[in-house]
Amino acid sequence: MGRIFLAPSLGFMALLALFPVFYAVGLSLYNIRGFSRDLVGVANYVDVLTDPGFWNAAKNTLIFTVASVSLEFVVGMAFALIMHQAFVGRGLTRAVILVPWVIPTAVAAQVWRYMFDHNPGFVNWVLGADINWLRDPAWSMVGIISADVWKTAPFVALLLLAGLQTIPRDYYEAAKVDGAGALQRFWSITLPLLRPAIVVALLFRTVDALRMFDFAYVFSGYSNSLATLSVYAQRFLVAEPRLGYANALSTVTFVIVMLVGLAFISRMGRHMVGDVGRKERR
Amino acid sequence: MSAEQTRKPVRTASRPRRDVPPAVTNALKLLGLLVVLLWCLFPFLWMAMTSLRTGSAALTDPNIFQGPFSFGNYEEVLGQGFHFALRNSLIVAAATTLICIPVASLAGYALARLPLAGKFALLAATLVATLFPPVALVNPLYQMYMRLNEWTGINLLNSYTGMVVPYVALTLPLSIFILATFFSGIPKEIEESAKVDGATPFQAFLKVVAPLAAPGVGAASILTFVYATNEFLLAFSFAPRDLNVQTVPVFVGTFERVGYENPIGQIMAASVLVSLPLIVFALILQRRIVAGLTSGAVKG
Repeated sequence: MGRIFLAPSLGFMALLALFPVFYAVGLSLYNIRGFSRDLVGVANYVDVLTDPGFWNAAKNTLIFTVASVSLEFVVGMAFALIMHQAFVGRGLTRAVILVPWVIPTAVAAQVWRYMFDHNPGFVNWVLGADINWLRDPAWSMVGIISADVWKTAPFVALLLLAGLQTIPRDYYEAAKVDGAGALQRFWSITLPLLRPAIVVALLFRTVDALRMFDFAYVFSGYSNSLATLSVYAQRFLVAEPRLGYANALSTVTFVIVMLVGLAFISRMGRHMVGDVGRKERR
Repeated sequence: MSAEQTRKPVRTASRPRRDVPPAVTNALKLLGLLVVLLWCLFPFLWMAMTSLRTGSAALTDPNIFQGPFSFGNYEEVLGQGFHFALRNSLIVAAATTLICIPVASLAGYALARLPLAGKFALLAATLVATLFPPVALVNPLYQMYMRLNEWTGINLLNSYTGMVVPYVALTLPLSIFILATFFSGIPKEIEESAKVDGATPFQAFLKVVAPLAAPGVGAASILTFVYATNEFLLAFSFAPRDLNVQTVPVFVGTFERVGYENPIGQIMAASVLVSLPLIVFALILQRRIVAGLTSGAVKG
């Protein structure tokens, strides 16, 4: 019975996720041009590893991931603490915090791109600066990191707020009685007890940042200044068709994302999964 | 922690505290909330104001409250067929949700309830599958679609099906995970008493468990729907230009400059037209969304 219930899901995922991954590995061993295919073995992978474009994309992805995830964590934590403290207007804030989350990323990317654009120059006007955000690679990176932090820090805040609400108030009262300051209470009660929520938030955000496509493509197309691993792999599909090479790139990206995700999950997956298993036994 | 433990503190948290804090603390807390609200809403304000501005001031003056204002940008963007993109997004997202959720419900129920060998490994695999990078599908699926077209004449490029099918595959893992969590929170006794009364496992699932799991099903449906309205990479790769199938993210994300004309107002008009319904949707369903987003996060 259980197998019958699982079959449709497993069938779907096997045919449209698992099989394509293996198919991509197969295709990546060929040199494909139009209708001709030559088996070239691992030559495409050698090309990937010696391609400056790939390393540039890897560097962009790494910078984007580290910067955006850490900023999102700091801002998200601050927002979660603010919302947890407040008792007037928390419901409203928790609703409004979903606004950035629900707006499609490509739309948010266009909005931010034009806010940064020096014509009409809204961001420059607010900052009193004169920066050509979209032309300068370093400033464009600042642009997409800001846009991503805007869009997903509220999501991080929601996850952390849910975690905060599971910490009993008594712990804080007891610590207060013992004379612990606000900062001390944060370090020795909030952070350790929030650890599971923090790890889940970091997992989702890190993996999402590693596979990011929308912000980079909308801000600068296929240009090397912002191209992430996803943008770089997609570029060789239609824009400059080199299908064998494209498949090698997406396979390498797949392996990187899954390895990072697995590293996270192996640290906390047992807890998440264990919960369902535990209740089942009860 | 179990579901009961996570539910209880929510109640304590919303209980007003006995010692009333001084006015200064209250003002600071309110100020904090205002910062959060401003953060979430100011790009939307900018988007809405910019969409209404027309003429040369809109392209040169950064002050968003500087007119003239009109609905001209909206007329232009609808003239370019933006309503088709809205329709396409709605169809693709609805179809994805309608296929994904029944399929995921069965799997989630099996994982939460039915005797299965290797259940732990299956749940772990589901969790791992949520990490799947869509870019790994772009190239091989494109090739698979070409092959399918060669062999059968069925063309999935520039079609709804070509998007919906991979979206279902990509949204299944998270939906299964959310639903398994919700199903396992339903007391088993209720279901067993149905079985004692002679219900088959399938009847027990359909008549007893499914209605009780409605909140979880709702949460998973909303997240799936939002995923499908948001998806850009596959839609852009498989249906880049044809207005009959092009979705909103592709329409907005690849909006072309025509000559030297700056399309800022039109892009923002399109952005408002898609954001408004989604924001209303999120505000109305916020409880379900928060429950879905945090269902995996508060355990440990």
